[in-house]
Amino acid sequence: MRYVLSILVVCVTAGCVSTTNASPQAREAFVVEEDEKRLWQRSEEEQEVLNGSGLIYEDSILNAYLRKIAAKLQPSGFFSQVPFEIKVIKNPYLNAFAFPNGVLYIHTGILARMENEAQLAALLGHEMTHCTHRHALKTLRYLKDKTGFLIGVQAALREFGGVRDLGTLLGSLGSRAAISGYSQELEREADMVGLGLMVRAGYDPNEALKLFKHLKAELTEEKIKEPFFFGTHPKLQERMENCEDFLRNHDRDRETGVKNTEIFLTKIHKAILDNAWLDLRAGRFQPAQRGAEKYLRIKPNDAKAYYLLGEVFRQRGKDGDTKRAKAYYEKAVSLDPFCGDIHKAIGLVFYKEGKKTLARRSFETCLSLSPNRGDKAYILGYLRNCNP
Amino acid sequence: MKKLLVIVLILLSACAAPWIESGGTYRALSHNFYVDIPQGWMRLNTERYLLISREGPFLQYVLIQDRPVDRSFRHTKKKLVKDMLPEEAAQVVIDEIVSDQTVVNLEVTENVPTEINGHDGFRLAFTYRNKDGLTLKTIYYGFIKGEKLYSIRYTAAKRYYFEKDIQAFETLLSSFRLIKAGAERTCAHHKNPFKLTRQYPYFYTDIY
Repeated sequence: MRYVLSILVVCVTAGCVSTTNASPQAREAFVVEEDEKRLWQRSEEEQEVLNGSGLIYEDSILNAYLRKIAAKLQPSGFFSQVPFEIKVIKNPYLNAFAFPNGVLYIHTGILARMENEAQLAALLGHEMTHCTHRHALKTLRYLKDKTGFLIGVQAALREFGGVRDLGTLLGSLGSRAAISGYSQELEREADMVGLGLMVRAGYDPNEALKLFKHLKAELTEEKIKEPFFFGTHPKLQERMENCEDFLRNHDRDRETGVKNTEIFLTKIHKAILDNAWLDLRAGRFQPAQRGAEKYLRIKPNDAKAYYLLGEVFRQRGKDGDTKRAKAYYEKAVSLDPFCGDIHKAIGLVFYKEGKKTLARRSFETCLSLSPNRGDKAYILGYLRNCNP
Repeated sequence: MKKLLVIVLILLSACAAPWIESGGTYRALSHNFYVDIPQGWMRLNTERYLLISREGPFLQYVLIQDRPVDRSFRHTKKKLVKDMLPEEAAQVVIDEIVSDQTVVNLEVTENVPTEINGHDGFRLAFTYRNKDGLTLKTIYYGFIKGEKLYSIRYTAAKRYYFEKDIQAFETLLSSFRLIKAGAERTCAHHKNPFKLTRQYPYFYTDIY
């Protein structure tokens, strides 16, 4: 009840923010105002914490690609005024958020879920619009006389699953951007302007709707509220309807636009696999499996992806999972017989089945391939127990 | 009306969860273990764990917990299983910590099998930074017995405080014993009707 009440307060109050307080200046000179300077300064402080947290996903190829897509969406001159920067966070949950100073954070989870560049453009367009249309500033001005509101919002919204931890790490600006989102009106504006940006850049706007649909499926599958990028303010269904309206009004005679699926998957394939490992660590076995399988469609003979699938089934441990794990490990070892991790995993399966001779062989192979591994003490213990 | 006032006062006093100065053997009957608490340390026991500290839990603490294997973790959906190998249990604990994004700059420096007074278990060592920028170091011992994961951990500010009390922790650890091997504890909720509502700093609640 406490959560429901808190959420209600957030929704009602944030929902009152008008879009007329600070006019959109996306196409005009973007002059940073006094209170906005403080907002940017605060953003930088919060980003410093986040950037130094070890949570930032480093992939220079991916980062360059994201910058390129962002540049396609906004006029080049605009970058000198709002210095857009895009960073990726190691987090398997579906989210993305923007600080008012143009720094965008995208979770690996949402990147890994997307299918093509057009969907990425839809997300970036939405988040960039929060910056260009000064949604944080508008919200701040609306709330400036409401003492403690931001603190209250931050505390209340920490209770949400998935990114609540990130909300604890972030300050109030980051929490608002990452967790609560903006008012219904501002989110709608970000959706519509974002769609316009992707169309102008030549992308197929139908992909925005598909992204919504993927996210809706994810929410249903996980049986959770993910009140993030597409999940809240207004409700996901309403936003999908808004998107459909936009598509109906969009000139059908024009070229559909591009999706750029192949280039997108080439650039993000590493993040897909890395995110699948994060899913596994979070115990999200189904998304981990889906991620590994998606990766294998891009890199069909990758031993590490088969190994990951083996781990998914070994660790899930449902009926029949051991058999499936073994099959994936065997495939992995056939592709890369020199990977110690795979031999160790096979050894563990045999060990737990009581097949000590087979287990010993796998453990010995593992140690011969990687003699100084961190789990050596465990393996030596297993080997002692495998002795006749 | 008088009765109501008494109940309110009792509840309020329960919520305050006072620290008790301790020292010597402490038998945590509802948690099925006993342990020697160093002289002069303060004790706080709740339904879920025993927490002791010398100078306050923001600087150093020892937390002992008997966690039902079927209790969900906060950050990973993985579950413990009673016949897990110690290494597998250690992996679940690590995954819980890794999946907690308030724990930043996490570095697991040790993950080895060990024996905790006759019980096969694991020992983890890791450092991390909390949201206030303080670097903490933890030594975490754990083993599964029956339906419980028993964990004995020592966390302190890495600088100065960790080294200062590590010996006291090792002595405490060597005194740790289960009262009944494999015994299930009686339901603490039935024994103690007072629910703790006070919020403790995240890093020493039962998150792992």
